[in-house]
Amino acid sequence: MQLSDKELWTLIHGMGLGALFLLAFGGGLAGLWSLRSKLVTEEGIAERTPRLLLGTTVMALVAWLTVIVGTWIVYPWYRAKPPEGLDLTVQSDALRDFPRYWLLASEETAEWHKFGMEWKEHVAFLAPFLATAVAVAVIYYGTQLIRRGEIRRAMLIFFTLAFAAAAVAGLFGALITKAAPVA
Amino acid sequence: MQTTDTMQTKPNGPVAAVFLAAGIGSLVMGILVVLNEVNADISSFLKFDANFGLGSGVGALSGKATLSILAFLASWLVLGLLLRGKEVKFGPVLTIALILVAGGFLLTFPPVFEIFAPA
Repeated sequence: MQLSDKELWTLIHGMGLGALFLLAFGGGLAGLWSLRSKLVTEEGIAERTPRLLLGTTVMALVAWLTVIVGTWIVYPWYRAKPPEGLDLTVQSDALRDFPRYWLLASEETAEWHKFGMEWKEHVAFLAPFLATAVAVAVIYYGTQLIRRGEIRRAMLIFFTLAFAAAAVAGLFGALITKAAPVA
Repeated sequence: MQTTDTMQTKPNGPVAAVFLAAGIGSLVMGILVVLNEVNADISSFLKFDANFGLGSGVGALSGKATLSILAFLASWLVLGLLLRGKEVKFGPVLTIALILVAGGFLLTFPPVFEIFAPA
């Protein structure tokens, strides 16, 4: 049982960082949602804030790592050009090593690239921008966040949008990898 | 208007700055996606891997990613300096930031940006 470098990086990008992102989102969302003065005491705020800080900061860092690894390490393998002379209109075994071209070789799979990958590779970048804004707000306000209802609500919206962008990217990443794995 | 709560906490300017910067970074990504479709010269320029050695085999995504990250960081820096120590109305800030983010989501959606591609 062995993993190639390509499989390992694809695993790190999708499963490793992806799972961490989900965990951090769950923790961060629960922390933000429950951070209301009528729900927690002063002691509760002091106890929850470090966890909220951890959840939002990890989510932002993981979002950055995911897009950087995805764009500059995994994506070039996905879009690698086949050698001259290889028939690009037939989904042959030889074309399997070139996922983008393999998908485009058939009308039945072409939309995985034209719609799925084209959307995924761009929308994914919104996640680190949005998640960073949320993490910065937690770092800046700390325990004072409890008295900033309007900012907490804005953070919940941004946090959810960051998750939505990452979810689109993650879902299409998984489906495209199933159709044409980078290996 | 300052409430008891806002007086007891730090001014919200720095947070407003990063929320707006996130919106700007998102919209810049969307605009670059469209420009890449519209103009072949811009598409060539965006190949930062070939033009500036930023990665290998990434294509135009290297430029789109780099420029949108720079837009996010630069706007965060500028707005951060402008809003440092200030208390702003956060409702309008959030509305503007959400419009920018919505633009980013919309323009990165293939059925939308393909409208701009030459036939």
